[in-house]
Formats: sequence, C-alpha cells, structure tokens
Amino acid sequence: MIRLAIGSLRRHRGVYAGTFLAAMLAVALLAGAGMLLFSVLTAKPPADRFAAAPLVVSGARQVSVATETVKHKKEGKTKLKRKVKNERLTGAGTLPADLPARIAAVPGVTGVVADAAFPVQVAGPDGMPLRGTDGAPVIGHGWRSAVLTPYQLRSGHPPAHGEAVIDADLAARGRVAVSDTLHVTTRTGEYSVRVSGIAAPAGRDGLAAQGALFLADGDVAAVSGLAGPTAVGVFARPGVELGGVVGDAEVYTGDDRVRADLPGALPDYVGPISIFGFVIGITAFAAVFVLTGTVALGVRQRLRELALLRTAGATPGQLRRLLGLESVVLAALAALPAAPLGIVFARVVAARFRALHAVPAQFSVRVNLPVMLLGALAGVLVTFVAARIAARRSVRIAPTQALTETATAPTGGLVPRVLVALVTTGGATAILTFVPLGGPLGMGMSFVSSALLLCAVAALGPYLVRPLTIAARPLGLAGMLARAEYRRVAALAVPLVLMFGINATMLLNSTLLGKLTEQDQVARDAVATAQVTGPGGLPLSTARRLVATPGVTGAAALLPTRVIAVKGGKPEDYPAQGLLAAGQSALDLDVRSGAYAADGVGASEAMVRQYGWKVGQVVPLWLADGVPVRLRLTMVYARARGFGDLVLPAGLVAAHDPSGLISTVGLRYTPGTAQRLLADFPSLRVTPAVGAAATGDASEQQGAWELMVVISLGFTAIAVVNTSAIATASRRREYADLRLAGATVGQLHRMAGAEALVTVFAGLLLGAAVTGVVVGAFSTAQDGALRWLVDPATYAAMAGGVAVLGLLAGTLPARLLLRRRGLATEA
Amino acid sequence: MRNTVVDLFDVVKCYPGVRALDGVSAGFAAGTFSAVMGPSGSGKSTLLHCAAGLDRPDSGQVKLGGHEIGRLREPKLTETRRRLVGFVFQTYNLLDSLSVWHNVLLPQRLAGVRPDRAWAREVVRRVGLSGRENDRPAQLSGGQRQRVALARALAARPEVIFADEPTGALDLATGREVLGLLREAVDELGTTIVMVTHDPAAAAWADRVVFLADGRVVAQLDNPSAEKVAAQMTAVSAR
Repeated sequence: MIRLAIGSLRRHRGVYAGTFLAAMLAVALLAGAGMLLFSVLTAKPPADRFAAAPLVVSGARQVSVATETVKHKKEGKTKLKRKVKNERLTGAGTLPADLPARIAAVPGVTGVVADAAFPVQVAGPDGMPLRGTDGAPVIGHGWRSAVLTPYQLRSGHPPAHGEAVIDADLAARGRVAVSDTLHVTTRTGEYSVRVSGIAAPAGRDGLAAQGALFLADGDVAAVSGLAGPTAVGVFARPGVELGGVVGDAEVYTGDDRVRADLPGALPDYVGPISIFGFVIGITAFAAVFVLTGTVALGVRQRLRELALLRTAGATPGQLRRLLGLESVVLAALAALPAAPLGIVFARVVAARFRALHAVPAQFSVRVNLPVMLLGALAGVLVTFVAARIAARRSVRIAPTQALTETATAPTGGLVPRVLVALVTTGGATAILTFVPLGGPLGMGMSFVSSALLLCAVAALGPYLVRPLTIAARPLGLAGMLARAEYRRVAALAVPLVLMFGINATMLLNSTLLGKLTEQDQVARDAVATAQVTGPGGLPLSTARRLVATPGVTGAAALLPTRVIAVKGGKPEDYPAQGLLAAGQSALDLDVRSGAYAADGVGASEAMVRQYGWKVGQVVPLWLADGVPVRLRLTMVYARARGFGDLVLPAGLVAAHDPSGLISTVGLRYTPGTAQRLLADFPSLRVTPAVGAAATGDASEQQGAWELMVVISLGFTAIAVVNTSAIATASRRREYADLRLAGATVGQLHRMAGAEALVTVFAGLLLGAAVTGVVVGAFSTAQDGALRWLVDPATYAAMAGGVAVLGLLAGTLPARLLLRRRGLATEA
Repeated sequence: MRNTVVDLFDVVKCYPGVRALDGVSAGFAAGTFSAVMGPSGSGKSTLLHCAAGLDRPDSGQVKLGGHEIGRLREPKLTETRRRLVGFVFQTYNLLDSLSVWHNVLLPQRLAGVRPDRAWAREVVRRVGLSGRENDRPAQLSGGQRQRVALARALAARPEVIFADEPTGALDLATGREVLGLLREAVDELGTTIVMVTHDPAAAAWADRVVFLADGRVVAQLDNPSAEKVAAQMTAVSAR
C-alpha cells in the first residue's frame, strides 16, 4: 500500500505540488505562530536587579480573589471548592516600614536592604528626556539598593542630599557627565539633581529594560512619595526561614526574585500573549480552510484514476486508505522545509511587532522542537482528515466510470453541506446577537463570526455561486463555459471569499475602532480651549498651579492608570483615569446619568452594563498598587473609547499609581492667558483647541491588527494562486478539445479571462456579504450607527486588490499552460 | 477527375528519431470518401495532422481548398482550419461541460459566425439525436457521442471532414452505424471525408483507400471491398 501511495504521489507531481505547497505553508504558519506563543509564554525577564541578594521579600504583585463554592454531593456529603483567580498589578504596593528591622532580627540574617523602586521622568542638561535601551523606563532607587545588583561606581562618589548616580548606559545615551544637572519629575514634584557619579553592574553598562537613577537614601521618601520599601533584599545563611516575620508578603528566591521588582520595570508579556494567541487563531483557521480546500480539489482531479483502481479490484476502503496514506506522506514531506520556514516566519513577525511596540523590545523567538513537531503534526492531521473527507464521496465512484471519458464524483452531499452551513451560520448569528461586540471581546468575536460565515460559504459554495454565474451571460461562449463549470468557479471563488471576507472584516473593524476612538477624543476635548502636556507627564502639584493661574476658568487634568474590578470572582484589569476637575467643564465625557463628584467614581456605560452597577452604589476597586478602595459611583458616561472605563479622584490615583503623573490638562481660559502660561511654565507645551493624537495604546493595537491582516492577506493570496494553478492543470484537456474545435489561443485566453471575471464577481459579492454582516453588526454595537464600508478607500483598495489577484490567478496559469507543446500532441 | 480539396506535395515530417512522413504526395477529391490505411507507425495519423493543419510539415506543401496552409502561423492557421475543416476523433473530444446542442454549434461560435441553426437541427436529426439536444455528452453512449461529433463537424459545412479512427472505440454494430452516417454525408450532402483507420471493414466504406508504410504512399485502391483491403494490408505489412 505505501509503495502504491508513493508511486501515485510521484505520478501526480503536478496536482500534488499544489497540496504540498499548501501543506508546507500551513505547517510553517502553525509552527511559527506556535513558537511565537511559546516564546512569549516562557519569556524570562531579561535581567535580575536582585541578582546579589539570595532572598527578596515583596508585597503581592497581583490581586487574588478566592471564591469558595460548596458542592452538595449525594449521601449528605458536601465538598468545599476553592478557586483562586489572579490579575497582575501594574504597580507595586509597599511593605511596612518596620519590616526590614524585623527581618534583620531573625537569626542567621546577615544583612537587610530596604529597596524602593519608582518610575522617574528624567531630562538631561539639554532638556531631552533620558530613556534606557529600546526606550526602557528609568527607575529611581535609594543608593543602598545598588548593592542588590550590584551596581558599582565607575566615577564620582555616592549621592549626597540633592545628588544622584545614574547608570553608565543612561549617561552615554544622554551624554551626561558627573556634575551635570538633571531634571527629575516624579508624582511628588519636580527636582533638579546634580550627578555625583556614574555606576554600572559588573560587565555591563546597565540592565536591560530598565535604566537606574540612585538618589541619596534620605531623599527617597520625599521624592518617591512611597510610605515604605517596595521590596527588601535579604542576605542570610542558607536555610533561614523568614515565614514568621514577613506576614502576607512573599519571599522569593532564585529566578523568582525578579518578581519582586517594579512591574513597570519588567517587559510586559501579558499583552503579547493575547496578540499571539490571536495570530495562532487566524493562521490556524486560514491554514485549515485552505488546506482542506486544496486537498479536496487534488482528490477531485484524480477521479478517473480512482475509478481505474476500482476496476482493477480496489475496494472503496482500500482507496480511502490509499488517499489517507498519500496525504500523510505528503504532509510529512512538506513539514521538512516548513519547520525552518516557520522559524523565519516567527522571527519576521516578532521583529515587526517589536517595531510596532506591540511586544517588548527584549522579546526574542525561542526555537522549540516540540512546538515545531506539534505544528507539523497538526498539519499532517488536517491534511489527513481533509483527504479522508474528500475521499468519502470520491471513492464511491462506480468502476464503470473509468471506462467513460470523464469521471464525475457523485454530486450528493447536499444534506451535510446544508447542515454544516446551518450550524455555522447559526453560530455566527448567535455571536453577533448575544456577544456585546462593543466590549473588549468585540474584535475577536467579530473575527470568529466571520470565520464561521466563511465556513458556511465554503460548504454551500457551488449552490451559492451557481445563481451568480448569471452575470456571465453577456460574456457569450466564455460565459457559457463558466456557467456550465460553476463548480470550478465556486472552487476558485471560495479562496477569494476567504481572502476578502476575513481581511476586510479585520481591517474595517480596526479602522472603525480607530476612527471612533479619535472622534471620542475630539468630542471629549472640544470644550477645552487648549491641551497642556509636559515631557513624560507632570506632577499633580504642577497641575494644581496650572489650574490656579489667573485667567484659567476651567480645567480637567487626566492621570492615566489601571484599575482592577472583580466580576464573578475573576479580577479584571481596566484602563482608567484619575481626574482633577475645576471650574468650567474642560472635558466632555457625555455623561448619561449622575454627575462628576470630586470624591466619587465614574464608570463607562459598558462597565456599568457589565457589572450591573447603579449610580449611588458603593463599588469595590483595586488601585494599581493593589490597595483596595470603596468609592461611590456618581457618574455614568458614554465617551470612553481611548480614555478608560473608570474615572477616579486624581489625588487617589497619584498616590497609588507607580508613576502617578498627569498626562494632559485640558484648560479653558480667557484670551491672553496662553502667553502667561507659556511664561510661567516654560517646559510645558500648550496646544490650542483640539489636535491631540489618539492615545498610543489604540494606535499600537491598530498597528498590530494591520500586521495580522498582512500575514493572513499573504497566506490567503498564496492560497488563491495555488488553487487556481491546480484547477488550471485539470483544464488541459478542455483546452485541447476547444483548440480542436477551432478555438485560437487568443480565444482561450479570453475565455480564461471571462471565467476569472465571473469568479472574481462571485468571490467579491459573497465576500462583501460576509463582511457586510459582520462589520454592520460590529458597527451597530459600537455606537448604534450601521455602516457597511466604514472607509470607502480601504474597502475599495481591498476589493481592488482581491480582484486583481483573482484575475491574475485566473489567467496566468492558462497562459503558461497554452505556451507549452503543439496542438496535435494534446489531441 | 473532380477538383481536389486536400493536396499534399512531397510532405516531410520528422519527429526526434523518426521520419514520420517521408515525401508524401496525395490528393483527395471533393465529394469523395477516402480512407488512409497502414500498419502502426506508418505515419497515417501524422498525415492526417499535417493535412488538417493540426501540425506543420518540415517541408513540402499542404493545400486546403486551394489555400497553402503549410506555412501559416497561429492564429491564422486556426482560423483557416476552423473555416475549412471538421473533425471526428476516436476519443470524441466533446466538451463535457456543454450540452449536445452547444457542442454542435461550438465551432461556428468560435469562428464568430452566426450559427446556421436550421441546418444544425437538420444535421442533428440526420445523425438520429433529435430530442437529445439538451443532454450532456456524459449522459450519452459512445456511439451517440460519436454522432454528436459528426453532427458538429457537419454543422459548420466544412470543405473536408477528417476522421481519425472514428470507430476505434465503438463496438461493431455501432461502428457500422457511424460509418453509414459518414457515407450518407458524402452521398447525400456532398461532403468530403478523409478517414484514418486500421480496420479493413471500415476502409471498405470508402471510395478510395491510400496505403502508407514507413512514411510513404505505397499503394492505392479504388472502390475497395473488405477482402481486397485486407489482402493489400497483408502485402503492405509483409514488405
């Protein structure tokens, strides 16, 4: 059997080249995406600031919520089930100020270092902001923390009051020398510090992902605003137990010690997990979709040979096994070049995502053999299943068909096709109806529903395409052939539907979100006369002085942060803003109920709907450093895109957010005030009226989406060309017959062109239908407005691109085919 | 002697390693039924391909209806061919995706002329396929498919119909019916037919038989009978 399978593969090199290519690309994509996800899941922080301390104590860097459910079992027994769900914090809570002393008292402890870590905005002597490698943040510490790494002075002396030591990497980047003056901004205010020395860890200029600025230990509390240490480094003899004295705090050893560092100082690998999870989802869907179609087409091309084997005595079961075995051999062979291709793919994608800042700059792809094997295995499995499904119908072919000129597969299977279409359409309808597409799951779920609709189109392909081929009527003879060969047209149109449907949905939805976010931003800021920003942000005290400037009639200072709320026992992290408002309203949130109160909390409509909150209710929240607060809900607002789902008092946020800096202040003022503001605050930028760009977060996400569209666009484009090439190979006989009936080569080209035209028409129409349904539902869920095109230019470009590719794919293979060989030999 | 429709003068055609036609000269008169015979490899199919303009000779002249086609290039060659020539092949070569009726009209459509529907209907009636116009070739028997091919060749009123082993894939009785139709086309419609065959019984339906061996014309036989053709074939093969 295996010999027959291999022999058969050899004979049908042409047809199998297509399947091979599809399998290879699918495996490469699966393995590549798998490796990306694996790399991000297993990514280790690039450096350990606590390398020199054997033990590190810190508060929890996550909010944990435990839910206990009692299950009643039979015989009166009950079982207590405890579930703990965690959500990472973006800031670091502080430890009791007396904890270092208590730890020092433990027998066996030889040294204790109270460590403080807080983000600082630093500007060099020339006023340019100082950042670490790849734009890494600068973290402030007391000088005693230097021994934890350890950092050693290269020049100068330890910092005295009003002085600082910076790492050699920062010094080189900012061209800072000892005795230069730095401008340091933290949530407590702005400071001028003199550089007293340059330090570095052994063998390096600085740590990856964080720059270091050491202040005099006596200055730390005032500058950082921290009530206690964020971590405690402990030097002790092996085997010392700290459990008794640390209380709720965690004790870390070995590789876990980095977890005690400030979360903002470590690369964030949580965002990329969902991004790469999505990449896997898209590529897996496209790969399975394309591979299934290609394998089925390949089997159909060989119906005659299958019939011949039947006459030679092969049972349907044997044919099924033959086709299955062939597909496994083929996919396994395709996996060999696919594995290195997957590595290349993963590297290229990772590089692009790094450039888009969608993943940390330190992220690198780690090649992992089991993941590659898993990708290959998945590819082989999909090919095998697709071949068996395609074989299911084909092997029922009657042996007598081998004796006739053309073998056609039994056309049955309408019932399973309709069934598949009904189930997938039902699923898509359910998602579009019941999932709140306006929420955080909107993009993912709209993708899933378009994938389901595409499956329905693929299942019903021939039946949907057949009525559409009516468009071919004016094309004369060529159109007649296209209508007669509606199954072939359908086979070629389905990849076009996939290409247009999936990519247009993703692109249009992300464009729509971008547009709406920008609109919201503009509408929010419309009431302000000007927006004031500072390099890296400004402390609350500066904002207060700004607001108190004579001539300012209203202000809204925003302090971006993250807040955790708990839903159904699961803590979830939300973008939020601290708001300091004064005088006339300078921020239009489109308040739907309640009103702004300086000590209350505001929530977006989506948030209120999700949590079932009511105005006047006290809601429990966790701030960025993990401190729980209970605040009264005083306001529900609608304009939340690119802003956040919660609004809290700015003072509260500033005290608990790690950086705690105001990002922008919207101001209303009387004419002539702008000059005074510029004179009083020379380092700030005053931008009159609107014009603030969308927040970085939104544009990064859009960049990531566009990259995903590019990936799936590339793959689906290859699928279109590939399918077309396979189908054309089977047209050799038809072309020969047409030539003998008197068709010129030019006429054949025109026929191929006409059929391609019909194919593109059907593909675009069905693709537009899928896109329209999903984008329409998504758009309605966003703001109640029904949009089909969203962005006519993007839509036209997508449609045009798909049309051009479809026409090229439909005509080029025919051109190559007709160039070869004379006529008589084909007769 | 009647006018010739197809003329070959000293035609030479070589394939790698084989001299398939080695200076063949022959003429086929209008309104006659000619058969070309010869053992396997004698060059009879090559002769037909060159005479019909499916292949170009290496040297020598081929005239179709008075037009020299040996030196014509595409697409001129195809245009000339489809105006002057009809084909009937052993493998039918119908388009499976088109109905019987559309297959019959196909060459005229390709030529861009308005199909003569009344004539096409008459031809379809004559080959006995009235009522099957909307069927697909796959729904027909071999004999019926060959009748479609013949109707297609006749519908365009070509100067000459080339038939390449038209009965090769058919059983004896069906083959006889098809040969009868070819004969009828010549006798009643005045068509010219050149048929390649290896079957003496089929050749006996022709007015004249040309024998080929090793790429040369070695004998001719007028008003043949199956016995005389068989005897001549034995002689040719024994050479």
